[in-house]
Amino acid sequence: MTTQIQPDTATRTADPDAPLLTIENLEVTFRTRDALVHAVRGVDLTVHAGQTLAVIGESGSGKTVTSRAVMGLLPRTATVRGSIRLGERQMVGLGEKELRRCLGREVGMIFQDPARSLNPTMRIGNQLTEAIRVHLPMSRRQARERAVELLAMVRLPAPARRFHEYPHQLSGGMRQRVMIAIALACQPGLLIADEATTALDVTTQAQIMDLLLDLQQRFAMGLVLISHDMGLAASYADQVAVMYAGRVVERAPTRRMIAHVRMPYTRALLDATPRLERPPHAPLPVISGRPPDLRVLDPGCAFAPRCSRSQDRCQHERPELTEREPRHEWACFFPCADDSLPGEDER
Amino acid sequence: MSDTLTRSPGRPPRSQSRPNRLAGLLDRPARLLGRSPAVRVAITRVLQAVPVVWGATFITFCLMNLLPGNAAVALLGDDATPEQVAALSARLNLDEPFLIRYLQWLGNALTGDLGNSLQNNEPVTAILGRALPVSLELVVLAFALALLVAVPTAVVAAKRPGGFADRIGMQVSMFGLSVPNFVFALVLVLIFAVGLRVLPAVGYVPIAQGIGPNLRAMVLPATAIAFALFCEYTRVLRADIVDQMLREDYITTARAKGVGSWQVLIRHALRNSVFSLLTIVGLQFGALIGSTVIIEQMFGLPGMGQGLLQAINSRDIPVVQAYVVVMACFVVGANLVTDLLYAVLDPRIRHGRPAA
Repeated sequence: MTTQIQPDTATRTADPDAPLLTIENLEVTFRTRDALVHAVRGVDLTVHAGQTLAVIGESGSGKTVTSRAVMGLLPRTATVRGSIRLGERQMVGLGEKELRRCLGREVGMIFQDPARSLNPTMRIGNQLTEAIRVHLPMSRRQARERAVELLAMVRLPAPARRFHEYPHQLSGGMRQRVMIAIALACQPGLLIADEATTALDVTTQAQIMDLLLDLQQRFAMGLVLISHDMGLAASYADQVAVMYAGRVVERAPTRRMIAHVRMPYTRALLDATPRLERPPHAPLPVISGRPPDLRVLDPGCAFAPRCSRSQDRCQHERPELTEREPRHEWACFFPCADDSLPGEDER
Repeated sequence: MSDTLTRSPGRPPRSQSRPNRLAGLLDRPARLLGRSPAVRVAITRVLQAVPVVWGATFITFCLMNLLPGNAAVALLGDDATPEQVAALSARLNLDEPFLIRYLQWLGNALTGDLGNSLQNNEPVTAILGRALPVSLELVVLAFALALLVAVPTAVVAAKRPGGFADRIGMQVSMFGLSVPNFVFALVLVLIFAVGLRVLPAVGYVPIAQGIGPNLRAMVLPATAIAFALFCEYTRVLRADIVDQMLREDYITTARAKGVGSWQVLIRHALRNSVFSLLTIVGLQFGALIGSTVIIEQMFGLPGMGQGLLQAINSRDIPVVQAYVVVMACFVVGANLVTDLLYAVLDPRIRHGRPAA
């Protein structure tokens, strides 16, 4: 790499232990025609430099909304309360100009469908140099050189030729590589990958994940993996936060989480993951029922109606996310026992 | 590495124009002639145009014959005796059977001879040569004016959907779509010709007498036509941009890069909206060349619309036929140009892969 970019002082503070991203009591509500939708209901998360946090949950759990809130990319109908600090900068209520200066330079993002997240009528190169020149005072020529370097960095074959191609001329995996190159164009301290490998086939998925982790190590980035896939989190993340109905319901270092699941919802998610060890044609345990209506704010635990362990107390009182074992937090009154293996209490 | 396989850009493209079996039939000769998608679109469309233009002339010929009276009656007036009419009809070859006359006309037209006017024996090509530039200028000016105003208006409106500029823009364009262009023309005349006395109310000045005077004469009629077009384009373009801004992931990508919101709107959304705009502009351009009758009449412009109206009233079949041929060619031609522009502008078609 010939072009060196000065690390941004705002995100990389002198204290190496200070978190890169701190989300505190984040609440996001959407105004719809007839109701308020409480999509995120008080989320706390932290990400340190060089660390990978997986945010896991089914559709509507608020994981994507949380990530969009960090980027300030929510639609106008959304109201954001709470605190999101990127380094030392407060992102909630940031003006458009400051926000723009931040996006791409301090935090980058890649999305689920690489076929849709690149502009179909613009050349790869122009989409990449745009990301560079928005933030860095570079000539067209310099930006071009940097762009080709970036394409080589994400291991896109024949980067100089690809520079002139359009998204439709690339395969899905290659498009996602281009997206990564765009997100990392200005070497942000934090990268948010929103279901970044969901639309790809399994082989490509592994390649993209390896590339992401490799680049994360190289640049000591914080990485947030947003996914519904527990398996992905287990293989790649340092820490896992499970979200349900707009709240974090369990959080622990990955290994601890997999070995000692406490929250019945997390257990149900793990059980619903297809596994090779399962006997063929055995029905896959599914989580019965639907995620709760986000327009309603119930006093009890949001998962209680679908929970096999729920009792009377769960209907009236909401368990807080508390550190009940070292570095392991969960929000449940009747957690799963330690010795139960995944799926055991159902059989 | 599974994702290093490129899709071959040289794969034979699927035709963009296959609305019916006829097109499929014509696709084969086109494929023999050209490999580039643009060339093939062009060839297919030109081949398709032949039956369209021929059909238009035949139907017009039939309709003209169904109308009561003929050119002889029109020339001689109501007081003429049946003998006079019969004599003139014979002299003008109007007494021949319908099909014979049509085939005669068709044979001559195919050799480039569109015949002479039954009214004054003037060559039809000369009449066309006078009328076509007038209408063409009017329509081109109207389109240019409409697009010039509609694009910025739509962009500003789409910047803040439901905002002040958006509401004003949408109100004006809704109003404009519901007012017929001749009513709007009258208002324009009232303001600029009668009230302010800055522009002429009627009359045409050929370009040969200077661009300035020519444009002065054209401004009001062109504006009258442009207004409705402007309203439609503004609405279509605004809706398309707003839709993209809400829905498309590449817009979010651009925002996430830190690109400013105007830049996102213009560089990313407007760029993709060009295609929906192109479609309606292309469809209307061909059709509009003949539908300016009322405006040309009001402003005394000797264009195609006015000429066609006169020719129909005097049952001047050769002139009517010639106008119809030209208008049909314009419709087909405008569609062809639209398709070609797609092929040039959209990289997905340009590189020979059908758009997703």
